Formats: sequence, C-alpha cells, structure tokens
Amino acid sequence: MESNTETPLIVLLIDSNANRAKIVEEGLKGAAVVKQATELHGAELLGLVRQLQPDAIIIDCDSPDRDTIENLQLVARENPKPVVMFVEDGDGALSKEAVRAGVSAYIVDGLSTNRVLPVLEIAIERFKMVDALMKDLQKSKEDLEARKVIERAKGILMEKRKISENEAYATLRSIAMKQGKKMKDIAENILSVSSLFDD
Amino acid sequence: MATEDLNIGFVPLTDSAPLIVAKEKGLFEKHGLNVTLSRENSWSQIRDKLTAGTIDAAHMLAPMVPASWIGEAPSSEKFVTALTLNLNGNAITVSNKLYDQLTEADRDAMLERPISARAIRKVIAQRIERGQEPLTIGAVFPFSSHNYAVRYWLGAEGINPDRDVRMVVAPPPFMVEQLEQGIVDAFCVGEPWNTMAEHRGLGRSIVTSAEVWRNTPEKVLGVRRHWAQENERLHFSLLSAVLEALVLLDDRNVRQEAVTLLARPEYVNVPAAVLAPALSGPGILQNRRSLIESDDFLIFHHYAANFPWRSHALWYLTQMARWGQIQSPVVVGEIAEQAYMPEMYRLVADELKLTYPTSDYKMEGNTDRAWLLRDANDSLVMPRSSFIDGTVFNPSDLRAYIESFVRHNLRIDPADFSAGS
Repeated sequence: MESNTETPLIVLLIDSNANRAKIVEEGLKGAAVVKQATELHGAELLGLVRQLQPDAIIIDCDSPDRDTIENLQLVARENPKPVVMFVEDGDGALSKEAVRAGVSAYIVDGLSTNRVLPVLEIAIERFKMVDALMKDLQKSKEDLEARKVIERAKGILMEKRKISENEAYATLRSIAMKQGKKMKDIAENILSVSSLFDD
Repeated sequence: MATEDLNIGFVPLTDSAPLIVAKEKGLFEKHGLNVTLSRENSWSQIRDKLTAGTIDAAHMLAPMVPASWIGEAPSSEKFVTALTLNLNGNAITVSNKLYDQLTEADRDAMLERPISARAIRKVIAQRIERGQEPLTIGAVFPFSSHNYAVRYWLGAEGINPDRDVRMVVAPPPFMVEQLEQGIVDAFCVGEPWNTMAEHRGLGRSIVTSAEVWRNTPEKVLGVRRHWAQENERLHFSLLSAVLEALVLLDDRNVRQEAVTLLARPEYVNVPAAVLAPALSGPGILQNRRSLIESDDFLIFHHYAANFPWRSHALWYLTQMARWGQIQSPVVVGEIAEQAYMPEMYRLVADELKLTYPTSDYKMEGNTDRAWLLRDANDSLVMPRSSFIDGTVFNPSDLRAYIESFVRHNLRIDPADFSAGS
C-alpha cells in the first residue's frame, strides 16, 4: 500500500493517553507524521484539520472532542477524513457501532506498535470507498433537486412571458451562460424573486 | 425483592441531577435496582454505548430519540423514551467583547426582555460589510435542543445560521475558555457552563432557552426500543425510581442538596457555587441577578414536565427538517407514536399517585397565561407557552408549520414530511 511512498502520511491524534500516543508514534515512524491535538477543541480543532488536511484522524472514544469530529464527518461533511477510534470494549459491540457512525476503523483494547500502520491503511482505503459512494449519492440527490428547481422556474417563465417550454429552457440556459452561473442558481433566483411578488 | 443490575450513562451537567439524586437517596434500591452511573464525555459516546448495550439507559438530549428513527442519523438501534427529565435549562452566552458590540449596535434591543437577535443581526451585517470573519457560535451536538434554540433565535430575526455565522460543535467546558480567547464569540449550552462563564467574568448570558421556547423539553431518559419491549417490568422500576427523584427535585431543599451532590468529583466535578444558580434559584448571586437564576430556568417536575408529549417529538422533527438534517421522506407521525411512550408514563404515574395528562399532543406557543389541562386524570396547571417570534406550533398541521419559517435550509419537500394517516 502507501507505506513506502516518498511523502509521509499526516495523522492527527486526539487522545490524552500519553502511553498510547507513544505507541502510535513509534508504530508510524517513517510512514507518517503524527500531530497531536489534545489541547485544541471546537473551532480551533476544526481550524487545525482544515490547515493540516490530515490523511487520517485517530481519536479516543472517550474524548470530549468526539461530537466535534462526528459533526465534521457526518453532518457538515466538510471535507471528511478517515477516522480511526480507540475503543476499550471486550465484546466488540461498541466498535461495531462506531463503524456505523462514520468511523473507518477501530483499535480495540490493546495496542501494539506493529498494528498501527496496517489499521491506518485499512481505514484510509475503506474511507475512500465509502466517500466515493457518498459523493455519488450526494450528486444524484443534487441533480434531482436541480431538475425540480429548473422545472418550477421554467413554469414561471412560461406563464409570465407566455412562451413555450423549449423557449423557457433556452432563456434559462442563455442567462446562465451569460452570467457564468449554473442553471440551478438562475432558476433559484427566479423562484425567490417571483415569491416576492406573490400575494 | 431480587435486585437487578443496571448501567445508566450520564453527561456531567446540572440536569443529570435526577439520576444522581435517585442513586444517592436510595430510590433505585427502593425499586429493586442496583444502578451503576457511568459518566460519559460526549453525546456520540452516549448514543454508541446505549446502542451497543454497554449501558441500559441514558440521560439523553431529547432530540436524540426521534433522531435515531430518521435515516440520516448514524445509529443502528432506535431509541424510545417514557420520561422527560427536565424542561428548559440552557442559555446563550456571549463573550464580553461581543456583548459590548451588541450594546453599541443596538442599545434598545439589548434592553428588551427577552433579548432578540436584532442586535446580533446588526453586528453580523457590519462584519459582512467590513469583510471580517463571521461570528463563531458554539453548540453541543447536531441533534440537540441547544442547536435548535440558537438557530431558532437567530432565524427569528432573519439570520441564516448556516451562512451568516460559523456554527461549531464543541465540548462546553472548553468553550468557556474559548470565549475569553475570542475563539468562540457565543455559545448555547446547558448548566453549569453558562454560570461558569459568568463567574469567571468571561461572558454574559443574554437569553435562556426558556425565552426562545418557553418550557422546551430538554433531556429524556432514553432506552433502546428492543430493551423496552423485552424488559417492561425493569423499565417500569427504573422509571418509578427516577420519577420519584424528579418529584423530590421540585423541593428547593432537595435542589440545594443536589448542589452538594453534583459538585462531587465522580459527578459534575465543579464548585458548588456554579451549580447553585440553576438549582437553587433567586438570591444565590449577591452582586447582580443572572438569567440563570430566574424562575423556571430549570424545571424538573411541575407543569407535567416529565410527561413525554408526542408533540414534543414532532416539534424536534420539524426543526431537523428546517435545518436540512432530514433529507429523505419521513412519516414523522409514526416516529412520534413509536419513540415516545406516554402510555408507559401514565402507568408509572398512576402507581405513584401523580396527576398525568390523558392526551398525547398539545399546541405550543399559543397562550400567554397559565391554563388548566382538562385532558388529565385530575386537572393539571400548565404554564404559558410562547416562542420568541410569537408563532404557534400546531402538531396537526406540520406542513404549514415548516413552510412558515422565513429562514430555513430545507433539504426535503415539505410534502415528504408527513404526519401519516
């Protein structure tokens, strides 16, 4: 995999356990640069993620920063990253749950130096797959949404200007081309302007 | 009576008091339960542990229960609740610097009660004009009453929280520090964190969640749906113990006792002085009055506070739709029917000889005076109900409600948000 590439991976570690941090650093020696972020929270932590653009985030399941990272991953979906989570959990039920919640891989209970890199690589691969799926899904949702908006805007144009459907479409397209914008944006403008003149 | 072991998760906040009082006053024992309270650092962890069965029940943000039923929330188990743990209890606190800017921008708006977002709207507009960074506002979890309260407050003045400010999710204890450093300009959190900011002179609490929506359902006792189905008797005992604690917490003396209990290292682990304003009420702060010590800032039992109104679940679902958290068609009426268990509450209340509502839904924001609820086994005094923008929530007309918001970021067609048959 990518362990022998020239540029090292960048890993953000959010864990207050110093022993574990040492094992992670040793396990990734030569393969990744580990940046620790135990003192940064909320907006600052998000700022660091933006600035650092890590290849993966490793976080302790007990960390108070989990809600921040989860919001970044799942809700904002603002440039999400692979997440690896430390879980102390005998039967593995908790780690299974964490995987569902947008975590790409987990390290249960004990941690040894030689396991860190393989887990990290699996997480990155898995994340790429899921992320590609999510992006496809998002794109088809947005396409559908755009089509709906354009349909409604066309309807308004047809009614207001007494023109045909094809002419309405051509009008939208020519405005979009002239302004260098997406047709959906032009359609949205038409809808919001027309709503001002309703009732 | 045989004793049963139960693990209950809680987040170290003032409104975890009912669980701690139930434990410390022997109410769990009284109902045959051997309870271990497990302190958790995040709501994600509460959700994951409850789903995985590491804990059996949890002190949980009310919206987390309906959120577990929608496709967008990452949980493989659905949660239910038969008990609301408190009404109100959150506030919006701004940094001293922002407070000064607000006063400068619109002194009159800052003298009104409740304080609207009119002044902050002016500050936001100034920053846009001057090309400055947007204000950063912290809340605690995407599916939280805090998130919806601050968004409601901003939205009521035409501010778009997803465009005009930067909303961040952050742990409350750290946000207090960040107010001083200017990393966050404002936050909406529960207690003791607003008081902590005020005590340390780092910020001012300007509006309470109760002022945004009077008597907002805040935390609930959440359990897994399957657990509730398979452990009805155990669930009943658990609800009885916690409801008894909630009744006790209506008494000011017990609330003062709770201050001492919660201050302990294994619970909230903060000085008693910062727990006191929300729990013990007026007269706690000597220098000036804080909003946190106002009447009904934090309600544990009266006003039928513990009843799981299905309309409350519906209201939270409308806000999830409003802010784009619901993106696929959903039959919210069915979620409210299955996730909230008023029938169970009535059984428990009946056993404890408490008055309970016999209806499951009520309007919100429709009355500026206290009223008598006649749909009850005995009449119940209910409080006035209002939203800061004066709108009315009618649970039988959800689509009109969603469409009425001036500010929203809907990502579904309101027609796909149906109450069901």
